[in-house]
Amino acid sequence: MAEISFPLPDLGEGLIEATVLDWLVEPGQQVERNQPIVELETTKSALELPSPQAGKVVRIHGAPGDTINVGEPLIVFEVPDDTAGIVGTVPKDEAPKRRVRLSAVLDED
Amino acid sequence: MPKTITDASMTDDSTDTATAGVQQMSMQQALNRALNEILAENPKTVIFGEDCGRLGGVFRITDGLQAKHGEERVFDTPLAESGILGMSVGLAMAGFHPIPEVQFDGFAYPAINQIVCQIARMNYRSRGTLPMPITLRVPSFGGIRAPEHHGESLEALFAHVPGLKVVSPSNPHDAYHLLKYAATRPDPVIFMEPKSRYWQKGPVDVSNAALGGAAHDGDTSTGGSLTGARVAREGRHLTLVAWGAMVSRCLQVAELAAEDGIDVEVLDLRWLKPIDAEALARSVGKTRRAVVVHEAPLTSGLGAEVAQLITQSCFASLKAPVERVTGFDVPYPSGDLEDEYIPNIDRILFGIQRVLEYRRG
Repeated sequence: MAEISFPLPDLGEGLIEATVLDWLVEPGQQVERNQPIVELETTKSALELPSPQAGKVVRIHGAPGDTINVGEPLIVFEVPDDTAGIVGTVPKDEAPKRRVRLSAVLDED
Repeated sequence: MPKTITDASMTDDSTDTATAGVQQMSMQQALNRALNEILAENPKTVIFGEDCGRLGGVFRITDGLQAKHGEERVFDTPLAESGILGMSVGLAMAGFHPIPEVQFDGFAYPAINQIVCQIARMNYRSRGTLPMPITLRVPSFGGIRAPEHHGESLEALFAHVPGLKVVSPSNPHDAYHLLKYAATRPDPVIFMEPKSRYWQKGPVDVSNAALGGAAHDGDTSTGGSLTGARVAREGRHLTLVAWGAMVSRCLQVAELAAEDGIDVEVLDLRWLKPIDAEALARSVGKTRRAVVVHEAPLTSGLGAEVAQLITQSCFASLKAPVERVTGFDVPYPSGDLEDEYIPNIDRILFGIQRVLEYRRG
């Protein structure tokens, strides 16, 4: 298993920090990609941040009320070692499925 | 004369000192092991590319090599493929044996000028005084649900360029031996790694005797010569010709065809430039029917070249025109549509059926 750290992303409009309002996940929890993981508040708005990936939450940074700078660690995931890398997924070796049958009269001349 | 991969006298080159015997490993591990041994055996070898050094490559192929062999021999480059390949030219001129990596197939396009205009012809241009012993590793083909530029098949593009050799292994054993072999060539070799097969394990015989080159010519039971094609499955009725990731799919198709009483031979081409025309003639001369399968688009794909080579040698005995089952003439699609684009089992079976049904006149 490998750990992947996800830093607080640039939330737009030149904002450089955000305050944690509430964590929606906790360490040990399995999350799906795009699942809301944390409520954040910036000087512009409050927002829910979706998970950038699937995986098991290992650590979360910042308690409610804490301020986190853009680029600082926000959450750490544990993922299987066989993820494809930066992009893509490892293909599964599945049992071959067919719909086409062959029919032929083979002349063996 | 510059030596070529078809020069049988050059094939006695294996200096593997590892423990003899067969081990189960993935293609990732086989390639990593090969690179580690190449670095140890040839002090002129250098490995570099995007994320090749500290990270160990996005597919882990260069994992641990920088720590073991040092930052001067295994290192990261800027995100500039033209620079990676341009630097390879200079290193080769200075006597090094570069093994650059282009992180994904579609990233080779920015380096086409360096590959085609410099690497492929420097030896020719310099009358053999500046050979380009470069092995360019390119994680290739589709099948991992990646975005644009991460699933393309460039073999026809490279094979068309005089001066380049092109090879693609289909399994861990061949990956290990072909990479070690390519790295000792005095000519540039484009090494196309089927990225969808990186993780599947298979037996790898790392002993010296496993693949010795010319001594094994025509001996298909041991995988044949390193310089030629390999009969992956013997059959009587029809030959499926494939390379890279399509070989395993064709082997699945052959098993299914056997259920219907059709005995399919699968020929793993391995070398895409030069193509082993004799192996094609041997196989199709026996089966008299052939279907070529590749992921690349149909038009001007390597399937056309294979079909012509078969027609040239087997015209009189062919039962039907050579069929091609390929990707479509469209830009490589997004991952969601990949299964519709890459030849699937049913499309290959249809191709076989078209050949079986063909009647002259």
